[in-house]
Amino acid sequence: MRHFFALVFASLLASGANLAHADNGMAGMAMGHEAPLGFDAAFDAAGHLWVVDTVGEHVRARRSDDMGRSFAMSTIVNPTGEPIYAEGENRPKIALGPEGELYVSWSQPRKLPWTGFVRFSRSLDGGAHFDAPMTVHADRAEITHRFDSLAVDGKGNVIVAWIDKRDVEAAKASGKPYLGAATYYSWSSDRGATFAPERKIVDESCECCRIALARAPDGTIDAFFRAIYGDNIRDHAFANLPVGESMPKVERATFTQWHIEGCPHHGPSLAIDAAGTRHAVWFSAADGKATIWYGQLHPGDKPSHLATVAAAGASHADIAVDGKHVWIAYHQVSAKGLELMLRESSDGGTNFTEARAIAHVDGGSGWPKLLLWRHRAFVGWNPDGQFRLVPTELL
Amino acid sequence: MRYWLAALICLVASAASAAIPTVLTPFDTKALVAPPGKGVRIVALWSLDCAYCEENLAALLAFQRSHADVELIFVATDPVSERAALEARLKAASLDAVPSRAYADATPERINFLIDPTWGGETPRTLAIKADGTRKAMSGALDAGRIAKLVD
Repeated sequence: MRHFFALVFASLLASGANLAHADNGMAGMAMGHEAPLGFDAAFDAAGHLWVVDTVGEHVRARRSDDMGRSFAMSTIVNPTGEPIYAEGENRPKIALGPEGELYVSWSQPRKLPWTGFVRFSRSLDGGAHFDAPMTVHADRAEITHRFDSLAVDGKGNVIVAWIDKRDVEAAKASGKPYLGAATYYSWSSDRGATFAPERKIVDESCECCRIALARAPDGTIDAFFRAIYGDNIRDHAFANLPVGESMPKVERATFTQWHIEGCPHHGPSLAIDAAGTRHAVWFSAADGKATIWYGQLHPGDKPSHLATVAAAGASHADIAVDGKHVWIAYHQVSAKGLELMLRESSDGGTNFTEARAIAHVDGGSGWPKLLLWRHRAFVGWNPDGQFRLVPTELL
Repeated sequence: MRYWLAALICLVASAASAAIPTVLTPFDTKALVAPPGKGVRIVALWSLDCAYCEENLAALLAFQRSHADVELIFVATDPVSERAALEARLKAASLDAVPSRAYADATPERINFLIDPTWGGETPRTLAIKADGTRKAMSGALDAGRIAKLVD
């Protein structure tokens, strides 16, 4: 009898922690996962490095005063825990305001598959405390509002953009076809105290790729994101995101003609130089060829300076620009693990150096994040969950 | 005591009957994509974040039901720590009778590469591996016509 009991207990244990997590099992990613790798990082004006990631049901903001070697400050943004999407194209974000404000956003999974709310919190005391998190959008339907992106414009307005399925639901209810999801945005003109009612950027965009945001020379924020053209051609759109009365102008900006009735799981990246040149990287697998492309965007028309950054096994490129210097960082996977790769241009994106590996991990890392400090570029990376700042200079 | 025992037996029974995804490590990928002894093995890659995946899995299951020489395996690119969510999703779509795996790694890139080095990680992804060693892959949700082309 005792033997039988031992067997029963052993099989219960073997069937695993899944039973313990059964209550939140429908909610999707990141819960019950010990070490989600999604992170974001930014330098403040004084050269402190801020890193956000997740610990269980908490978003954590940390400050490093020695370029990521150690953390002098660590603050939990949401002391009351909640589910958080913290992997892949979803990760907590951080952006800094002109007066040292810290803005943090993330997506919170709801009970049903693919549902989520975009959450936001701020600190006005240098990260010592964060305000209670708020939901950015007025719409509270239990549907997709996730894949948030966060930026601060030249006037200090906080802009949040996300993927939103309310129009899918409306189309479904009236029996109309609808591909993908819509992309929405909102803004705060009072340092993140309140957000304006959300506004649609475009219908029928991709439902599973992060949105790239970048500041234009005039201080306004532009968005570059995967959209759907015709029958599931998943290329990219470019849109300005005005704060105030005017509506966004949305134009097609890439023309790879990749047809897929599916989820690419690869969002693009955008960096705009002082002259207004829009440097961009994006992923496409048109004709079955997985490729990371570089190009300079001319919304409404084809990109110029098109170049293949990397091919099979490459993913999740990020781009940064300072004057004529352009950096592209990305992951290159092999049977041996993951290489953090770098390509650079010193002539404004006309020519790029050969790719070189600047770091390696046998396991995994969150997506690389390029960071500029005093005309130098670093890559924020967290191999196996350990954050580090990888220098890009050749020694 | 008798109640306790009954409750435990019920729990064990329910855990065993549900198709809980088993772990797929980087070392398991070789066997996963090795040619089958006969017929064709279809490896259907999916993820929790993919709104097109369940319809692809359902189409593949329907195809398998009318093709006796097809072996079907579902592989989630999500980490196996998500097994409760994966299992619930498969069960809700009546797809839980098919053998099912989930990645051991926290990020999918390495196992993606080991399964199919030409794949960019987009989902759904469907691999057809034949006994003669040839293989074909397609991305996106497949209908019966495209599945027939894939295994052809």
